[in-house]
Parts: sequence; structure tokens; C-alpha cells
Amino acid sequence: MNTTTAVAPRRRRRLELNASLVVGIALTIGFLVIAIVSFFWLPSNPNIPNIKNRMLPPGTVDHWLGTDGLGRDIIAQLMVGARTSILVGAGGATISLILGTIAGLVAAAYGKIADETISRGADIMLSIPGMVTALVLAATMGSGALTTIFALTAFFTPSFTRVIRSAAMSVLQEDFITSAKLYGRGKLFILARHVIPNIAGVMIVQFTLYFAAGILTEAGLSYLGVGVTRPSISWGMMLNEAQQTVGISSPLAMWPGLAIVIVVLGLNLLGDGLRDVLDPKLKRRS
Amino acid sequence: MSAVTSFPADARPLLEVRQLSQVYNLNRQKLFAPRPKLKVLDSIDFSVRPGEAVGLVGESGSGKTTLTRMLTGVERPGDGQVLYDGVDVWTGGEAHRKLFRRSVQVVLQNPRSSLDPRMRVGTSLLEPLRSLKIEGDHGTRVLEVLDQVGLDKNALERFPHEFSGGQLQRIAIARALMPGPKVLIADEPVSALDVSIQAQVLNLLKDLVRDLGLSLVFIAHDLSVVAYTTSKVYVMSSGKIVEVGKPLDLFRTPQAEATQALVGAVLSVEAGLAGNALA
Amino acid sequence: MTISAKPHAIEVNNLVVSNGDVTAVRGVSFTIPHGGRMGLVGESGSGKSMTALALMGLLPMGWNTHGSILHDGVDLVTQSDKALSSRRGRTLSMVFQDPLSSLNPVRRVGDQISSVIRRHTGADRKVAEAQTIELIKQMNLPRPEQLVRAYPHEISGGQRQRIMIAMALACYPQLIIADEPTTALDVTVQKQVLRLLNGAVRDRGSALLMITHDLPIIAAMCDTVAVMYAGRIVEIGPVQEVFRNPRHHYTRGLLDSQPTMDNIALDGSSRLVSIPGMVPPLHSLPTGCAFNPRCPAATDKCREIMPELGSDGVSAACWHPIRLAGEVAAQ
Repeated sequence: MNTTTAVAPRRRRRLELNASLVVGIALTIGFLVIAIVSFFWLPSNPNIPNIKNRMLPPGTVDHWLGTDGLGRDIIAQLMVGARTSILVGAGGATISLILGTIAGLVAAAYGKIADETISRGADIMLSIPGMVTALVLAATMGSGALTTIFALTAFFTPSFTRVIRSAAMSVLQEDFITSAKLYGRGKLFILARHVIPNIAGVMIVQFTLYFAAGILTEAGLSYLGVGVTRPSISWGMMLNEAQQTVGISSPLAMWPGLAIVIVVLGLNLLGDGLRDVLDPKLKRRS
Repeated sequence: MSAVTSFPADARPLLEVRQLSQVYNLNRQKLFAPRPKLKVLDSIDFSVRPGEAVGLVGESGSGKTTLTRMLTGVERPGDGQVLYDGVDVWTGGEAHRKLFRRSVQVVLQNPRSSLDPRMRVGTSLLEPLRSLKIEGDHGTRVLEVLDQVGLDKNALERFPHEFSGGQLQRIAIARALMPGPKVLIADEPVSALDVSIQAQVLNLLKDLVRDLGLSLVFIAHDLSVVAYTTSKVYVMSSGKIVEVGKPLDLFRTPQAEATQALVGAVLSVEAGLAGNALA
Repeated sequence: MTISAKPHAIEVNNLVVSNGDVTAVRGVSFTIPHGGRMGLVGESGSGKSMTALALMGLLPMGWNTHGSILHDGVDLVTQSDKALSSRRGRTLSMVFQDPLSSLNPVRRVGDQISSVIRRHTGADRKVAEAQTIELIKQMNLPRPEQLVRAYPHEISGGQRQRIMIAMALACYPQLIIADEPTTALDVTVQKQVLRLLNGAVRDRGSALLMITHDLPIIAAMCDTVAVMYAGRIVEIGPVQEVFRNPRHHYTRGLLDSQPTMDNIALDGSSRLVSIPGMVPPLHSLPTGCAFNPRCPAATDKCREIMPELGSDGVSAACWHPIRLAGEVAAQ
């Protein structure tokens, strides 16, 4: 009955790589690789003191970045510290992402009472300083990686909830949601098949940014001495230990500080780059 | 007399609302003051017979959006009835409600918003069948409907952002046709489209009504667009139906004030060239 | 306010607007004399809005302008941002489609108008406020003394658009650009706003560039019209000529696809003539004439060589322009 309309030539969707995405991916992959390698190979045991080799300067054979006040190799410590950063940063970000997504979706889709309860709850949680939460948790549960993850979760979940709620609400206002309701789809289906795919970009970007924030927070807590304890090693702990030797010898505090800066920068660049690529508003333009 | 209007005059209405009223509570002006009420729909009677194309026009705020929500079963009326095939859709039982959902389909204004950007067009088209649990050969049905709206089958694997507005509106119409509806409700279906595409979509809707024997409810603010697609027009103003008639009669001899305002608002190239468009 | 001795309110020569990736405006030239009214008509993606933004110096980040835009004795393309911003609202002003998002929501509308007046004329507060009330009166708005104290959300869409028009006209600009000024308004309000714009522009002797996809608005408001398609002007001339006897097949198609009382039979039997196909995306324009895939008269020549305006002796960029009865094609 109708003449068939030709469809425009298919425009290949290319992943447009921007500079911040490339640098972010490179730094993040480097970081992950170092953490993985640390399970199979370390230059020396980072926990066994070696008084002979105390305070070796950077450039020493077998200890290229030198050793600390107890003669432990800096490179080995940094490598093991990367594991802790990933465990705590990714762990905290993942759990808060899951909890925040559930809470945010419920707030966005299940009526005014649920929304008010969850949103006000998030407000209250955000008004408690994160460091205080962490200190209280460390005091009651004992310090360690698990405690730090708990603290990060308490700290990040409300922020995730807010972001997910507002992203989900804007998707729920679209007409395709109305259409789905009209042909009888229920809330769960709509959330799973329509809302989540449309906010996935936001979720990924937020995840990388909170991953970075988690690494920073963990370093802060370990620096204060309420983070992880040996035999685990954390960059924050290394900073703490280096404090005793500042001014005496080699710039021990510089190495973990540099590691934190590079990794956090890498993750933030990755997040920003992904945001540019994944933003549905930018992509919807044909 | 064209096929559009060739139904028996005494045919029973397919979709009908009787004495429909709806009151919204507004926010309090003062603490403890009673909440002000706004009567958005006031005793509306409206019906579409099988194969009939009717229009619904009115300014924003006239209540046509709320009436559309009632006709599509999104909102439950405060007072009055919405009937499909003579049975109330809210009290007629689950089986009838399913029949209603399947038989009354909607095309919305903005096709960019009415299709999920993360869902392939093919999946979007199958959604109504899956949701309404309609059995049958879905693959064949999809191809049949694509042909009816004039798209080819390589559209199925693509995402909405790969299409132009006009093509997306065809896809939205195709999705509405998938469950084999009896009534198509089109809510401002061309006002978001380019001029050269509007005519294509209007012609398509007209063809569908004629070839598939569909009933059409066409909601718009532009009287000339409605006049082109329908044979009977309801004019709404302040929550009431103020006039019903054939498009030509409404244009020539508008009775109600709201109709006169709408007719007066129509701009045409001819009037502009004659220099009296803004008189 | 005296009208400058310069011959035109604006003269655009071979304007190109691109962002490195795509070119939205591909060589557009037109002039509007002082007090003249030109309509720029086109569909989405035709480049009409980008043309307007280029004229105002308001292109989004990453977009560049080439060519020349002569206005008030200077070439706007070479002007600094600062120089352009001192012109906007003074010699050159614009009315946008959505009045709600173009007004500052947290300032009273009166303050917004009077600050424009004060900025460009150096008038003191009292004088500017008096002028504002006078302007609002001219816009046929009720109770001007109260309206100046209202916030944008407290007034209706039609009133907001009148406020925008008042603001645009406050300093008697040489040229006012109106980009779809009534699209966001209710149909019954549209005519009132157009009538007001019409009168206000005439009273000030300003030139008007009306940008819209709506042909009847052009017919009502303008004396010349330029039809844009895929970044180029495909037909230009007096409205009376172009709309009565279009030469380009695209213009003809646009006129035919208007569902008006004049071209449809109201018994449901008529069909609109529609233009087949769709507007080509900017990144994959066809070779030759951009309209050739949708054109009923396209030949191999159209698919190979891009026609220029006046290629065939008429003011349409077409190798096979529509001829009037008795006309013979120039060979």
C-alpha cells in the first residue's frame, strides 16, 4: 500500500576516543596490571624488615626506588598497596553502586512516600561527616580493609542514591515509559529493561569517579591509622610511616603520594572520557 | 462519500466516554486553607464508531490531554465511564481490560521520546505482543506491519538514533499497529515533525484508517490538520465539549467562541499573500 | 534614533558555518535593506538557525564562521566577542523560540528590560524604568505597572514572548532576528504575538529576519523569502513571487504539503501532496543538488553538479526550475 521508504545509510557507530579517555584507560590499565602482577611476583617481601638495607636511596640496584626506615623495598610495597586500593576502592564503589541503584530506583518509581523517605534518609546520612563514620566504625569493628569498605559504603551510598534517582526520574518522564505502561508492562520490567539500560552510562561514570574517591578516602584513613594494618599494605599507611623520616632522608613520602595522584587522576580522566562517550544526550543526535 | 465515513449510522460506538468528569486538587494557597479544586473535565460525552475518524481540538489547558489519558486508560475517571465495545474498562473485569489494552493503541507526539533509545527497533516493535502475551507468528507480523507503514526490514536491527523524525514516527505507528488494534489514538502525531514530513505521516494515517478499517482519534491544536484527517471534530474548552461537527461546518460557521478562536487562529499562505492574515 | 546611511541593515556574503566535522551552512548570501523583512524558511537541519546564531555571534563552542556579515559599517565575522556583545540588544537583537528559558527566572521582568536599556543607552534607573513601562504599554500588555514587578513564571507564555519582543526592541535595533518566535505558543495566541511584532518592528523602522518552518507566517510578515535546504539557499525572491510561482521543486513541495482550507477537500477524499524521502543528514549529503534524491525533476546533471542560485536565469538554485506558462528554458 505504501512505497517503501529507504532508510538512511547506516552510520557506523564509532567509539569516539578523546584524549582524556585514552590517558585514563592507559593509567587505569597500568594500575590494574601492577596489582595483578603483585600476586605472582614481587621484587622482595614487603613486610620483612632488613636492617642492613635501611633508607637506601632511589637508584640502588635491586631497590630502584630505595627502601624505607626498616629496609623494606618501596616498589614491593607500592605493588601490594595497589591491591589494597583496588580492593577497598572498587569494593566500596561496587557495594554503594548496588545499594544506591536499588534505593534510587525505588525512590524514583515507587511513589511519593518512598521517595521522601529515601531522599530524606540520604540527606541525613550525607550530613554525617564520612571521616567520623569511619573512625567510629574502626573503633567498634577494629580497623582493616573490611571496615574501610563499610565506611566507604556508608559514605557513598547516599550520593549514588541521589544521582541514580534523578537520572531514573528523567528517564521515567520519557514517552517510551508511557508507551510501555500502555501496553501493560509492570514497574519491575520497566525499571529493568528501560530505565537501567538508559542510566547505565551514568552508573559507569559514577563508578569510576567513586572508585577514585574511595582510593583517596582509604589513603586518608590508613594515614590516620584506622585503615588497613600489616601484613596488608596501603599507600596511606606508607605515607604515615614515611612521616617519621621526612626531612631525614630520601623523599619516602613522595612515592605513595605520587602513586595516589596518578591512579586517582587516571580514574577521573577515565570517568570524564566515558561521560563524553556514553552521554545519551550527545549520542542521540543522528 | 469516502470510505472514512462509510459506516452504518446506527453502529454502536467502539470507544466511548459517558458523562466523564475529573477534578484535581491543587496545592493549598495557605496553611489549613481548603485545597482549591480544578474541574479539568466536566460531563464529557465522546464516542468513536468502528472505522470512524474523529478529531479532538482545543487550546492547551482545555482538558484534551486529560481526556486522552482517560481514553487510553492511563487515568481512572473520578466520575463517569470509559466504555470499550460497550463494557466499562475499569469495572469490566481482567479479560475485558486486556482486550481494551490490545484494541486501543496510542501514537504520541514526540517519536524521539516515545521509543527507547537503548532498544533495537525490532525489540521495540515486539514489546506490545510480548507484554500483552499475544500468540502467533511474531516475525511475519513485524514484516507485515513494517510494510504497512512503508519501512524496510533492515530497520529492525537498528537503534532509534539512526532514524529521522519522520521515520521514527512511522516506527511508533508500526508499534501501535502490532497488536492489531481497532482504535488508534494519535496525540499531536505530526506537530514535532518537519513540514515536508507532516504530509507523509498524515497521508499514512489516512491510508491506515481506510485500508485497515481502523477507528482514529486524532488530537491536535491545529484545526486544519485535524480537518484533513477526520470526518467529525470535537472542540474542547475549559474542560467541556463546546461544539461537535463536520470539519467544513466548523470552519464555515463556527458556533462556539472557542471554535471561532481556533478558526481565527489558522494562518494560511493565501491570506498572507493577500495581506490580510493578521487582520 | 537616526537610521544609518549604510545601504543595508545586514549584508551576508558567502557565509559558511562549520565545526570541522560537518558544515551546517554552506555559502549563504543575502541582504536585508533598512526596514526590510526577510523570511528564512527551512526544515530542521537546513541551517537556518545556525545562520541566525552566526549573525548574532552566538554559535555554540567549536563552530566557526567564514565569509562576511556586514552590518552597521563593520564585518561581524571579524569582530571581537566584546564588540559583538556590545552590539547585541543595541543594533542587533534576537527573539528566541522559548521565552521561558530565555528570561532569567529569578529577576523581575521589568528589571530585565530596564537593565538592557541602561546598559546600551547609559540612561539612569528612573529613565530606564519609565521607558520600560512605556514599552510594556506598547506591547498591549495589561497593567504595565504591576507587570514589571512580576517574575517570568508568573505570566503566561504569550506575555513572556511579548516581554522578549519588548526587550529586543528596547534600543531601536537596526535588525531584529526572530527565530520561531511563536512555535512554543498556543495557536490562538500566535496571531496576536505576530501582529504585535509586525507593528512594533514597523514603528521602529527596524529590519526583520524571520526564521521559521511555517510558510503562512512568512507570507503574513515578510516581503522577501529565502528557502534553505541542507545549508544552502535554494530559492530567494519577493514573497509574492516565490509563493505564487515557486521555481524550485522543494519550494513547490513545501507549499503543497500545507494542509490548509485551500488545498484540501473537507470530505476526507483528498490527499496531501507530500515530498518523498527525508532531509539528508549533514554528514552524508548527496553529490550535486542536495535535493536531487527527493526531486521529481532530477536528472543526471542534478546528481553531478551543484546548481547555484540563478544558474538558469531564475532565482532558484535548480537546473530544471519550474517554468511559468509560455516561458522557455534558456539553453
